[in-house]
Amino acid sequence: MSRKGCLGCSFPVLIVIIVVVLAVGIVSFLSGALGKAIVGNVGLPEIFTVDAPHVQLPAEDIFHIGGFAVTNTLIASWITIVVLVALAWAVTHRIKLIPSRLQSLLEFAIEWLLNLCVDVAGEKNGRRFFPIIATIFLFVIMNAWLSLVPGFGSITYTVVENGEEHVLPLLRGANTDINFTLALSIVSFFFVSYFGIKQSRMLFFKQFFNVPRFIRGVGQLVSGKVKTGLGSIGFGAIDMFVGFLEFISYFIRLVSFSFRLFGNMLGGEILLFVMLFLMPFLLAVPFYGLELLVGAIQALIFGGLTLVFATMAVTLHEHEEAH
Amino acid sequence: MDAETARLLAAGIAMGLGAIGPGIGIGILGAGAMQALGRNPEARGPIMTNMILAIAMAEAVAIYALVVSIVLIFVA
Repeated sequence: MSRKGCLGCSFPVLIVIIVVVLAVGIVSFLSGALGKAIVGNVGLPEIFTVDAPHVQLPAEDIFHIGGFAVTNTLIASWITIVVLVALAWAVTHRIKLIPSRLQSLLEFAIEWLLNLCVDVAGEKNGRRFFPIIATIFLFVIMNAWLSLVPGFGSITYTVVENGEEHVLPLLRGANTDINFTLALSIVSFFFVSYFGIKQSRMLFFKQFFNVPRFIRGVGQLVSGKVKTGLGSIGFGAIDMFVGFLEFISYFIRLVSFSFRLFGNMLGGEILLFVMLFLMPFLLAVPFYGLELLVGAIQALIFGGLTLVFATMAVTLHEHEEAH
Repeated sequence: MDAETARLLAAGIAMGLGAIGPGIGIGILGAGAMQALGRNPEARGPIMTNMILAIAMAEAVAIYALVVSIVLIFVA
């Protein structure tokens, strides 16, 4: 190499790149709301400006099948399913001992998830929980990442309603719909309950309605042992109260599961919109990276918490024996 | 104070107060993780994963406040 370079580019290329980035930066600063507030309107063409973010909490109906409203988040989630199925098919219909690049990528992801399940829940339960945990993880992460693909929200669809034209985005990340996250958390709730009841039988209900000590205390009181009876009734009342708290927190999980995912994803989307509004092109780029990370972490948390709660539900039995 | 002003004020207060707790929590978590790292630098991987998981749990509380503010501004 005779010519010296910097950052992997030769100097002329580097200079061109720096000039282009600077030009884009200046244009985006001047055309954004931030620059307009500081410098004032310098008369740049309209195409550079981004409108103020319009936040839409409920998903918009695109069309109706019978009485069933097909929303844009529903379409997006079906696209996610199609992408996942296509990926799985592309890899598994011609599986090789020496994997291709795509196959090794998916093998890596699946193996990592399986290791996570086995680490948390143990060999037997980990393998049993793996399918649903992996499904939740892959579905949530694909929903989050597909909605970051450039152009995802730009495809619009015009609906005429009562003579008024509404321009709606045809696609919207499924994680930003509270109905979707609620459905997913209900799935995880029933999954945890099913395995808990199947494995721990009555112990699963006993953690919520812990009455044996109270009943024993009443029995002791009736048979004349007043002092021990009253003590048992007191501790039994505490047991019942703890069980009641467990019962409430078991159902609060539904709320916290759904709102955690929904809030993170919707907050991220609004963050990107606001950054685009303040300073188009340039300022949103670092936040894109942040949103990639947030999507992965939220998927990990949704799957991981389901895994942890399921493990707690099936190991009730062993806890009780250790006492 | 008219309704519009009250709504914006409420949204700001909700988000601001709601961010205090998670902020303190994430600070404590980060400090704990750094101490653990200092004592046992080889355990960097597990510490990192668990710290991020716990931080996301603490952050969820702030997200609830964010949802409340968003609802206050854009929906209510």
